[in-house]
Amino acid sequence: MHPKGVGDFRYYVGIRSLAELATREDRVCVLNILGSESRSVTPTSHEYSGGNIVFGTGPGRAGQVLKTKLGNIPVYNNVRDGLADGHAFSTGVVYLPPSGVRDGVAELIRVNPLLKKVIILTEKVSVRDARLIRALGQLSGIDIFGANCLGVADAWNEVRLGGALGGSAPAESLKKGSVAIFSNSGNFTTTIAVYLTTAGWGSTVSISSGKDVYIHFAAPEFAYALGNDDRSKAAVMYVEPGGYYERGLKLSKPTVACVVGRWKAKLSRSVGHAGAMAGSGDDAAAKERWFMEMFGVDAIYTPDNPVCSAKGAVVTNIAHIPVAMTAVMAQNGVGPDFPSQGSLSLKPWFANAQGIDLPAELEIPVVEAVAPYNEQIAAISQQVGAILPRQAMKDCSGASLMDPKTQVSRIHGLSVLDATQHSMESNLVMALIRESLDANGEKLANVALTAEVNLAGSPILVAADAARAAGNAPNSVLAAACSIVGPKRAEAARAAADRLVELFSHQGLEDPADETFDVAPMVANREAAAIFLGAERDLKAEQMVAAVAARGGQSVFLRYLQGLKGHPTSDAVLGAIATTLAWGPLMRKRISPFTVRNLPWFLRIYGTLIGAAVAGEQHTARSFCGVAMEELLASWSLAEVAYLALMGERPSAAQMFSFSVLLGLIITNGPGTISAQGAKGGVAADGPETPERVQVNKAMTGFLTHTGYAHGGNGFEAIAFLLERFKDAGVTDPGDPHHGLDLPAMAGEYVEEYKRYKAQQKAIGNLGYGKIPCVNHPIFKGKPVNYDPREVFVADLFKKRGDYNLFHDYYHALVQALFDKEVSREVYCVNVDAVIAVLLLKILWKPYREGRFSSATLETAAFTTFLFGRMIGCAAEVDDHTNRGKNMDTRTPASACSFVG
Amino acid sequence: MQITGMLTGARLLRYVGFPTAEVLGPEASTDEIKALIDRCGEIFIKPLFRGGVGKKGKSGLIGRARDIQTALQEKERLYFVEHRHGNAWAKAEGVTFEGAVPAEHEVYFAITDSTKFRAPTVTITHHGGMDIEELSRDQIAEIPFDPLTGLKAFIIANALTDLGAPDEIISPLVQNLPKLWDLFHNYGMTTLELNPIRMMADASGRLTPVACDFKCGFDQDDPNWKRLGLPAHLFASDTSDFEQEVNQLRTYQGQSDVFVINDKGTILAPTFGGGANALVTELLGDDAIISSDFGGNPPFAKMKDIARICFKYYLAQSNVLFIIGGKANNTDIYETFRAMADALRDYFNNRGPTPLYVVVGRGGPNLIRGMGVMRDTLDALGLPYRFFGHDSAMSEVVNYAQGINRWMKEGGRKRLAAHLGIGG
Repeated sequence: MHPKGVGDFRYYVGIRSLAELATREDRVCVLNILGSESRSVTPTSHEYSGGNIVFGTGPGRAGQVLKTKLGNIPVYNNVRDGLADGHAFSTGVVYLPPSGVRDGVAELIRVNPLLKKVIILTEKVSVRDARLIRALGQLSGIDIFGANCLGVADAWNEVRLGGALGGSAPAESLKKGSVAIFSNSGNFTTTIAVYLTTAGWGSTVSISSGKDVYIHFAAPEFAYALGNDDRSKAAVMYVEPGGYYERGLKLSKPTVACVVGRWKAKLSRSVGHAGAMAGSGDDAAAKERWFMEMFGVDAIYTPDNPVCSAKGAVVTNIAHIPVAMTAVMAQNGVGPDFPSQGSLSLKPWFANAQGIDLPAELEIPVVEAVAPYNEQIAAISQQVGAILPRQAMKDCSGASLMDPKTQVSRIHGLSVLDATQHSMESNLVMALIRESLDANGEKLANVALTAEVNLAGSPILVAADAARAAGNAPNSVLAAACSIVGPKRAEAARAAADRLVELFSHQGLEDPADETFDVAPMVANREAAAIFLGAERDLKAEQMVAAVAARGGQSVFLRYLQGLKGHPTSDAVLGAIATTLAWGPLMRKRISPFTVRNLPWFLRIYGTLIGAAVAGEQHTARSFCGVAMEELLASWSLAEVAYLALMGERPSAAQMFSFSVLLGLIITNGPGTISAQGAKGGVAADGPETPERVQVNKAMTGFLTHTGYAHGGNGFEAIAFLLERFKDAGVTDPGDPHHGLDLPAMAGEYVEEYKRYKAQQKAIGNLGYGKIPCVNHPIFKGKPVNYDPREVFVADLFKKRGDYNLFHDYYHALVQALFDKEVSREVYCVNVDAVIAVLLLKILWKPYREGRFSSATLETAAFTTFLFGRMIGCAAEVDDHTNRGKNMDTRTPASACSFVG
Repeated sequence: MQITGMLTGARLLRYVGFPTAEVLGPEASTDEIKALIDRCGEIFIKPLFRGGVGKKGKSGLIGRARDIQTALQEKERLYFVEHRHGNAWAKAEGVTFEGAVPAEHEVYFAITDSTKFRAPTVTITHHGGMDIEELSRDQIAEIPFDPLTGLKAFIIANALTDLGAPDEIISPLVQNLPKLWDLFHNYGMTTLELNPIRMMADASGRLTPVACDFKCGFDQDDPNWKRLGLPAHLFASDTSDFEQEVNQLRTYQGQSDVFVINDKGTILAPTFGGGANALVTELLGDDAIISSDFGGNPPFAKMKDIARICFKYYLAQSNVLFIIGGKANNTDIYETFRAMADALRDYFNNRGPTPLYVVVGRGGPNLIRGMGVMRDTLDALGLPYRFFGHDSAMSEVVNYAQGINRWMKEGGRKRLAAHLGIGG
């Protein structure tokens, strides 16, 4: 049934000698050459092998190329087209996904009459396909390697076919020598080659056989071809349990067999592949026995009990292979190929006990790594901050994530629920530096941010007021302001942050608040310091420095500025504060130096947006909303300033708590939200691969323009609903639990009314009838009584504080009434949007009742509160996308778009 | 992914029209059982185990009954019976009632992929009904065949003739056994075993092969088994929550098979590469919590997910996080280490610190960048560590990790906890 091959095999085998496995004459075609694995592996194979790949395939990718240092490899839609274009090959390499492998092999065999070898890299090919591939290969006289293997390599010929043997630098691991390596494990093929060099043994060929049920080029074929390869004086075989490939093997050259996997027999259920069901005799113990009988030895070789014969040795630890090889070969009168290279002793390259003493035997000192790793280690020690790999960031984020089960979003690992317990200023900065601020950080951040809110005399304010006067919603007003905080308005502060990082990053500074850190050497560098100084006194800078001092804030960088002879500018102070805030995360490589460079810009934008929310007349040279700037800078938190901007007064502790909870909840809902998409689109359009060109203010404007009456402004719907319900209830203090109202009755009455309305609308065929806002949720439903866990979290927070909210209580009465009156089939949850509305309304109730706030003002306040919270999350997206994204990566390909006529 | 027993087996055999013994499930009513006894004269009561558990007959776990009282007694005895065979342990979840098939001849038949022949192979003998291992080799025929043409009637005929099987059983087997190839090959099986097939005579004395016990194994990598529409619980034998959760991530990109070795272990060892997995699991013994192979260049998101799940279940009890592999060929060390470092940081962010010593042994592309990220993360979290390159023997690195584990047990963990400002 099969063509006649070499030897007396009962099946076809074409490889007579290991020397024929991978030669300089082999020409290769790679299927799915542009797949992610091939793309990274194939160029190295091509370059190592002197350019042996003639073409690759990728359906629909004809005309593309795979770039290599030896020139481009052309890509065709299929094998036929490649051959028709004049290419010829003898070896097919398959990188297709599992379901495509069988057909790929069939294509290679059917289309190319010159085919000799097929190497299948793909893992998890089904046994069904493997048995058919076997039959196809047998029928046509083709040698197959794999699947689930890394191919073959020849250190003499410097050729590797198929996968990544020897990794990204094959010549480093595959040293020319006299040992042939055959391994069921791809990784160990290379590892064994490396280990052998420590005893002076190099390799001829390395074969990663794979370890699926079907191994096509298996131990018997290896043994046969080993015998016919004059270069190979010995062999290493690494075998795992399963299959009878090694039983009765005819080895004609000394061999070290490494058999690993006795533990598998102890498992309480079958693992892996062949023989799994019957528990038959092909486990590790059986394989050890087969080899021991072959070699005529009665024990496993270990350094303590070096049992071997001239025929070979059996080891169960790959670290023993080199010494076993030397011992076996000594009995054959053969010495190693070259002097030993390195050793396998323990050599830590990195260590840090974090100040804890270890026993002497565990306290192994760090040694210099072998080249080229020592140079790389030296280089990363010089690197400041993180470098994030770039990738397409459409709908992806390295900053935020929404858990689809709980609907709780996280930002830099901090859940929005936990964010409610941090201050606004901490969250604003955390969005960029990826860590919450400590007390000192908060003091500094408050000064830097508050210093930016007063826009008196600035064109920013003119723009904002003009936008306001034109009837724009708050997001458009803030967008107008934001557009003006362009690169030039941040240039000096960014340069200051840059220079500080440059000056201090290799000076051993760990804690930027360290009062004892000596800044004198940096002060002495007068040339470097020039950019921090202005020709004249800078009042704003002085106010900021004084405010930091008044708050007891510490900063090495501010101390440095003060040490300079001259007048530090306010930009320099902003840069110094930003650098202080970012220093820890930068040194811990959580953030990139570019994030630190942009931090002053973000801080300026944050402050500007809060300031621009307030009408022009509230900004004067010395005050903001009627409060002196000195006072704001020295003693107000930014959250208080933001509250002041919205409500016109300093909040009480309870109001502050509610406001912080509100802002925390709003921070993010993941990268899919419209606001985040707007921010990310702004970055993508500028091209983050040249991050310097990304206009942070424009991206933040993108966030603002991607909010609106439906996204961000909709919180007012629930407020309007509650205003209607409570307009005649005579409530003076919604925080008073003794309000005297019968909430269940109120809710019941309303539900009756709603029920009538709903029936009426349905009767006239209007299915788009008005729904009650903020009850029910697509995820949190289906139980007899439903809860939104975010609402529960917030309710608990307030309960623990003894803080009552009438409107919140009403909402619970409402969902119960909906069920009791059979409007709903289950008790709906009160969702998180209701929480936001009730918190806000409680804050706004008093000024509204007193007539200080109109309904329109309420709506503006609600919308602006959303913007204040969401700017935290969107700033995080802007920074993250700038650091990770690719140019125009948020676009949707035309093929994925559709026309609706 | 195995199925044993006739309850599901009969259903599968019906797909290809292979005759089976009558079988009722645990929900069968007294009337139905009685009717089965009336029809068959005798019934077998067998405990129902999920997955594959062998040697039930030898362990006295098969009841026989000719009347309903005995049948119900046996049902009560076997309904929740426990069974140990080798290292495997199982608890019954009900019983089946199977009609006896009177016969003179019993046949053993199996199809599997043989590594000896490297082809699908039938194993057949007319000395069935007993363990195949107990027969001498000349009583069994093992015949490989070409999967492109399938299992043909002549293969069965030749085999039975060579074995000297009684003439009267050859024709019915030749007609029916090739049907099993369809079931085996087209529904993603790796093994199919019927033992015994009892040769039941009809009124005219003509024999029909009737399957009286069934075993099969499915190939997890072959989606064809899903066409059978088998309920998922059949395969949820004794996997832990952890294994189920982590193995959901099984895709063709990168390995991800994970097994719990000792859920009270103290070394959590994400291992890269099948070889490293075999070696490390062997050397760590009961110190290891899991045995894993995360090699195959998993992408960042998948690696982070795997690490997250491993940490969620086992980091709190771990003394040592031991990241170990050889010199990787293709696995990007930077991506995999960054993913594990991120997952570790997330764990600390969410659950607070836990005393942990990190030992790494690894080589491969982007090694130093990967180690750099891990180092920076561990420094930020305040965790002690030692990283070895691929030029330190993997087994020595394992010994080192075990040394650290012992030190942690002997007071190191407590000291580290104090250093981190938490209770041990």
